[in-house]
Amino acid sequence: MTKLLTPVCLLSMTFLSGPLPAAAQETDSQVRVVVTEGVRARVAVADIQQRGSESELDGHTRLFDDVLWNDLRRAGVFELVPKSFYPLKLPSQPYEVNYEEWTAEDVQAQNLVYGNSYMQRGQFVVEARLIDVNTQESIIGNRYRVDPDEEGVRSLAHRLADEIVLRIGGGVRGIASTRIAFVSNRNGNKEIYTMDYDGYGQKALTNHRSISLTPRWSMDNSRIAYTSYHRGNPDLYFRTVFDQRLIPFSHRGGLTTTPAFAPDGERIAFSSSKSRDPEIYVSDLRGRHLKRLTRARGVDISPVWNPKSGRQIAFVSGRSGSPQIWIMDEDGSNLRRLIKEGGEAVSPSWSPDGVHIAFSWRRRLTGRFDIYLLDVVSGRFSQLTRDGANNEHPVWSPDSRHIAYESNRFGSRQVFIMLADGTQKEQLTNRGQNTSPAWSNYFQQ
Amino acid sequence: MKNRKFLNVAALCLFALLIAISGGCKKKVPVAPPEEPPPPPPPAKPTATLTANPTTIQKGKSSTLTWSTTNATNVSINQGIGDVSTSGSRSVSPSSSTTYTLTAKGEGGSVTASARVTVTAPPAPPPPPKKRGPTVEEMFTKKVQDIYFDYDQSEIRGDARATLAAASEFLKKYPQVRFTIEGHCDERGSEEYNLGLGDRRANSALSHLTSMGISSSRVKTISYGKERPQCTESNEACWQKNRRAHFVLSR
Repeated sequence: MTKLLTPVCLLSMTFLSGPLPAAAQETDSQVRVVVTEGVRARVAVADIQQRGSESELDGHTRLFDDVLWNDLRRAGVFELVPKSFYPLKLPSQPYEVNYEEWTAEDVQAQNLVYGNSYMQRGQFVVEARLIDVNTQESIIGNRYRVDPDEEGVRSLAHRLADEIVLRIGGGVRGIASTRIAFVSNRNGNKEIYTMDYDGYGQKALTNHRSISLTPRWSMDNSRIAYTSYHRGNPDLYFRTVFDQRLIPFSHRGGLTTTPAFAPDGERIAFSSSKSRDPEIYVSDLRGRHLKRLTRARGVDISPVWNPKSGRQIAFVSGRSGSPQIWIMDEDGSNLRRLIKEGGEAVSPSWSPDGVHIAFSWRRRLTGRFDIYLLDVVSGRFSQLTRDGANNEHPVWSPDSRHIAYESNRFGSRQVFIMLADGTQKEQLTNRGQNTSPAWSNYFQQ
Repeated sequence: MKNRKFLNVAALCLFALLIAISGGCKKKVPVAPPEEPPPPPPPAKPTATLTANPTTIQKGKSSTLTWSTTNATNVSINQGIGDVSTSGSRSVSPSSSTTYTLTAKGEGGSVTASARVTVTAPPAPPPPPKKRGPTVEEMFTKKVQDIYFDYDQSEIRGDARATLAAASEFLKKYPQVRFTIEGHCDERGSEEYNLGLGDRRANSALSHLTSMGISSSRVKTISYGKERPQCTESNEACWQKNRRAHFVLSR
């Protein structure tokens, strides 16, 4: 994110027609997130052609190709044409594109990504184009340049991928440039870590050598709120992501945890046991204008805002016995239980488009936790994981198409991501136990 | 002619003189002193050393005296040892600190040497163990024991009531004791919900103690959720051990 990215518009751009309506498609008894409407666009992604013979150019270009391909695959909105079907001579410039080759029977690409790369004044430069093969229209023509290290090359590929997703993926910005925070005990104590959305670049944000839990990104991604025991009591702290400054939030006694930044960026909801029972409170970011929202015996914890309206809060409550997901207005009114069935329902995460709440649910006490989706309006739900392991703590990506979660399906607890229809599950972590993922918001570009 | 003869005589004399000088120089012999008989040497004065090893002993233990002399014909050590050979060693076991003096006599006179053996009292036998009361810490550990909870519950169970009654009896007797109640949970369920559940367990134990007259100002509560399990297996026996309130004495 700190790399200098300078896209230069090379060609006039033609936008696709406006975004198609994104909506949940209901089946008889279940709700299903439809990641793409109808048929996925068939996209060919030609390797970037190198203009130059520097050895570093080859390495950077291969990395760029690899990251771009995986980003577009992970996006879940395209059908990528396997590279083995491509013509032998790949285009580098517009006049080299043979449209008939790309529309041939065995390729049938609707869109083609191609371009060229070179080194210039110590920087790695990619000129990338996205065209509609059928209409021969140019959709993207950008030149990107970056300092040639791995992080830079990756960020550059992520940026192109996000642009491609935005233009031909249904009008929603891609998530390739987003990050995920999580809790890891890989060095002995539970500390907060961050990584790219694809698992690359994992690094520690905290070094308290204590217990640190429940990370959440602020709306502008500038800070991460979390609970830490490093001063003895489980209190809430903010840590700035850029320079890792520590800003204490609460020292009111008792437990203060599960922060949730309001969509307006001005307020924060959290759980505090200062009344000797964990209740949901809302305050400004300095802890002032404190307002208590719940008054019930039993645990009230894990609040999440409706990201779309900013007017409702879903949370976990033990007031009716076992933990269940409840919902209320931002002033505590209109309280109701979301899932009427029994079991234990915890860890709600509200999709950024406001349509769904993902949560982990153990429907029978002898069973395992699995990830479920609830359509907030209809009250219908669907199950996204079923592998005999515990799948817990789902969190939405900012495009409402992906979910990160923790699973012990291969033994230890690790962070996974998947598409919100339950497909394309992918493990991102492997050192130590890695839990409690928190997906960042979009970064400003 | 007369002059020439004189010259020849002079040269001859000079030559003879030269011979005489050079020969005299080379053949000079030292003159021996007059021979006298040496005086008889005076009789040598005797010497003596005496050491004790070790120089400090406990009462009842022994030390070794070691001595040597020269030019002595009669050697004796006091303190009841008497005459000894001119050099040697022997063991002594004085009952109190003693200075041993060796006297060496010879034709050249007599000389003495001393060594002191210091005797210390034997170590006192270990005192018989005194009766010591248990420390507050020990009593706290014994009297204020963990209480256990049912799954997903923070209510005080019947067995826990008895445990807390015993605890409150002790805590009333020692009103200066301050302590922390930790709430713990088993591994099942979300980290977050368990943080809240552990908090409720700690506060449930606290409110039960306050209902029995223990001031809450002496108590701090903290939830560890499922972060600090006592037992890490995934079975009910282990889970039960982890669903607890644990009491820690404050320092």
